[in-house]
Amino acid sequence: MAGHLDTLAKKLALATLPCPAPTTYTDSEDAQDWTYGVPRTTLERLVHYWRTSLLPNWREHEQTLNALPQFTRSIEVDGHGVFTAHYVHKKSEDRRRNAIPLLFLHGWPGHFNEASKLLPLLTAPPASSDYPAFDVVVPSLPGFGFSSAPTKTGFALPQYAEFAHKLMLSLGYDEYVVQGGDWGRHIGLGLAYTYPKHVRAWHTNYPRSAGPPQLLRNPLLWLQHLVTPYSAAERKGLDRMQFFTNEGTGYSAIQATMPQTLSYALTDSPVGLLAWIYEKLVFWSDAYDWGDDEVLQWVSIYLFSASGPATSARIYYEIKHSGRSKELINIWSPVPLGLSYFPKELTPVPKTWARTVGNVVFEADHDKGGHFAAHEVPHALADDLRKMFGKGGKAYGVVKGKDGY
Amino acid sequence: MQDEQPFKISVSQNALDSLAQKLAIATLPAPAPVTYTDSALDSEDWTYGVPRPTLERLLIHWRTQFLPRWHEHQAVLNALPQFTRSIEVDGHGVFTAHYVHKQSTHNPKGAIPLLFLHGWPGHFNEVSKLLPFLTTPPANASYPSFHVVAPSLPGFGFSSAPTKTGFAVAQYAEFSHKLMLSLGYTEYVVQGGDWGSFIAHRLAYLYGPKYVKAWHSNFPAGRQPTLTRNPLLYLQHAVTPYSAKEKKGLQMMQWFWSEGQGYFAIQSTMPQTLSYALADSPVGLLAWIYEKLVKWTDGYEWGDDEVLTWISVYLFSASGPETTVRIYYEIAHQGNMDEFARLWSPIPLGLSFFPHELVGGPRTWARTMGNVVFESEHNKGGHFAAYEQPLALADDLRAMFGKGGKAFGVVKGKDGY
Repeated sequence: MAGHLDTLAKKLALATLPCPAPTTYTDSEDAQDWTYGVPRTTLERLVHYWRTSLLPNWREHEQTLNALPQFTRSIEVDGHGVFTAHYVHKKSEDRRRNAIPLLFLHGWPGHFNEASKLLPLLTAPPASSDYPAFDVVVPSLPGFGFSSAPTKTGFALPQYAEFAHKLMLSLGYDEYVVQGGDWGRHIGLGLAYTYPKHVRAWHTNYPRSAGPPQLLRNPLLWLQHLVTPYSAAERKGLDRMQFFTNEGTGYSAIQATMPQTLSYALTDSPVGLLAWIYEKLVFWSDAYDWGDDEVLQWVSIYLFSASGPATSARIYYEIKHSGRSKELINIWSPVPLGLSYFPKELTPVPKTWARTVGNVVFEADHDKGGHFAAHEVPHALADDLRKMFGKGGKAYGVVKGKDGY
Repeated sequence: MQDEQPFKISVSQNALDSLAQKLAIATLPAPAPVTYTDSALDSEDWTYGVPRPTLERLLIHWRTQFLPRWHEHQAVLNALPQFTRSIEVDGHGVFTAHYVHKQSTHNPKGAIPLLFLHGWPGHFNEVSKLLPFLTTPPANASYPSFHVVAPSLPGFGFSSAPTKTGFAVAQYAEFSHKLMLSLGYTEYVVQGGDWGSFIAHRLAYLYGPKYVKAWHSNFPAGRQPTLTRNPLLYLQHAVTPYSAKEKKGLQMMQWFWSEGQGYFAIQSTMPQTLSYALADSPVGLLAWIYEKLVKWTDGYEWGDDEVLTWISVYLFSASGPETTVRIYYEIAHQGNMDEFARLWSPIPLGLSFFPHELVGGPRTWARTMGNVVFESEHNKGGHFAAYEQPLALADDLRAMFGKGGKAFGVVKGKDGY
C-alpha cells in the first residue's frame, strides 16, 4: 500500500490536464457546463485537493473505509476457480432479534461501501420503533474492491449470482433476501430466478425493464398500459431515459466491447479514473452534494482495488457477450419483488413496464434520489425495506424463523 | 491573414522529460481474461482489446529505445516540408493552420493541386508514403503529377483547436478550402479517408464545381439507396446479388457496429470525460490509438518505431491529444447525419474499395455519395489506405486523373502534364 501511495503522489504531481471543453452558449460558468463531460475547472480543483489534502491524510480516510466490519474468504465458482471474496458482514446490533439476512449488491461504478449509510438503519433500528432488523452482507463483486477478479472469459450473470449465493450459504444463511441496484439488480433477479428456494424476496431501486408489457407475456399489464396514460412523473422519467440513451451510454459501449483497451488509461492515470467515475457520481445522482473527501474516497476504492481499477469494467463485456445473461436480465420470477422508484434513476420506466419483471408485492414512489439511492437517500430506501419486510408488510416473515423481531 | 511560416516539429525538453517520468512510473492493468481461442500467445488475443504483453513490450521500447533517441524520430516527421499560416473560420475565429505543402518536382505550372485530408486517429503524416508517387512520378511513365497539401485538421497535429462549440463538417470544409485559396489554388481536387472523406464530400457540395473540381475517397460510406432519391441505384441494389467482396464488406461493417464502435460512442457523447485519461497517460493514449492501427489495417506489419512516431504526433500535438476526439461530438450533434450524407454534388467522384475498410458495404450504397466516375477494387488494404497501400492508392489517382482518365483535365490548365 505504501508503494501505491508513493506512486499516486508522483502521478498527481505530474498530472497533465486537458484544455477546457469548447464553450457552449449556455449562461452557466465553465465549472457548471457539463455538455462535453466533466468540466476542467471542477476536475482541476479536485486533483489539487487530492494532492494537497486527501492523500497526505490518507490514513484517516482509510479508517473511514474500514469502519464497516470486513472479511475475506474463499468462494469457488464452477469453471472459474477459487475467488477471494471480500465482504462486509454486519449482524443486527440487538442479538436477541431474529434478524433477516439481507444481501446488498452494488454495481458499477459502485462498491461495497455504498451500503455504509444504509447499513446502520437496517442493523440497528431504533428500539422504540416497530422496524425489523437485518443481518447485512455486502460483498465486493469479483473484479471490484478487494475481491479477486475472474481470469477466464465468460464470467457473466450466472457466475456473479453463484458467487453471491455461495457466499451467503457459507455464512450460514440458507434463506435470505436481496437488495440491489445497477448490476446488483440484474444479479438479484438472477439469484431470485436461479435459487428460488433460498432467495425468499428481493428488492431493487433500479426497476428496469426492456420495454413496455407485451400482449402475450403480460396480458393484464399490457391492457393496463394500453388504457392508463403515463403520469407526469413517468413522462419525465421517459425523457430522462431518452437523454441517457442518447448521450450517456458511451462508457457502456466501450466497456462492453474493448474493456482492455480502455483499461490502460484508467489504470495508469488516477486523474483519468477520477474523471471517468466522477462524471457518473454527478450525472447519475439527484443533485447530491458530493464532498471532495467523499468523491475521492469513492474513487480510491477503485484505484486501490485488489485487481486494479479497470477489471471492474469487464462485467459490461461479459454480459453483452452472454446470451444467457441477457435472458436473465428480462426474465420473470415468482419470488416476491419490491420496487422503489427514484426520479433521477438512469432509465426511469413507467410502472406498467417495471411490473413485467416479477411478482411485485411492494412499490414506493419518491420525489428525490437517483441511481445511488442507498448512498444518496439511505433513509428513504431503509423506510421502503422496513415497509416491505416489517410487520404488516407484504414480505413480512419470508425467511423462516427470521422475521426481524 | 498572416503570411506562411516554415514549420518544424520541435518538442520541448520539458515535454520529453515529463513523458520520461510518466513512462517510468507507468502502471499496467491485469491481463484480459483468457479466452478459448487456439492462439497460443496472449499477445495475439485481441478479444478484449490490446493485449497486455504487446502493450508492455511497446512501453519498454518507448522508454528504453524510442524516447532516448527522440530527435531521430522527430527528424523523420520533419522530412516533409511543413508550414503554418492563419486561417479564419466564420464564427470561430482565427486558427493556426499547420500543413504539409509539397509541389511537384518537375511540373510547377501544370501539376494538379490536391488536398489530402486525414481523419481520426490519422494525421498529416499519413500522406508521407503516398506523396512522392504524386509529386514525383517516374519520368518515363505517363502519370500525372500533383501539388499536395496535407493539413492538420483543427484540433489535430500542429493546428490550433476550436474553442467554441459547433465546429463541425462545414467548418472543417471552410478551413480546408480557405487554406487552398490562400496557397493560390483556386481550383483543386480532394482526396480523403475517414473524417477526411466526410469533409471532402462537403467540400464538393459547398465549393464544387467552381473551386473543387473532383474528389476521391477510400472510405466509401454511402447510404442505402432509396426509391425516391436514387431510383436507378435502388433498382440495381434490389436485383443485383452481393459479390463476395461486398459480403465480406458487410461482415466488416457488422463487426464494427457490434464490437468496434465503443470509442465512437464515448467520443461522440462525453469527449471531455475521456480526455483526462488521454491527456494524462501516454500509455493510455498509446493503447487507445494502437488498437485502431492494428484492428483497422489489413495485416500491416507495424514497426515499434512506426507506431510510437504515430502516437507522438498525438501526444505532442499543439492542443493536446484529447482535442482530436471532439470531432466526433461535433459531427454527431450537427444534425441528421443521414441527411448530410445524402448531399449530392455533380463533380466527378472516384472510389477505392479496400477489403479491410470498416464501411465496405454494397457498391450501390457507395454510389449514392456522388457522381461516381471511377471505381477500383483491391485485394489488400484497410482503413489507412494511403499509409498501408500507397502505391495502390496512387495508381487509382493516376488512373482517375491521368490521360484517358474520367477526371483528366478537371482543373483548368493543370492536367498534371
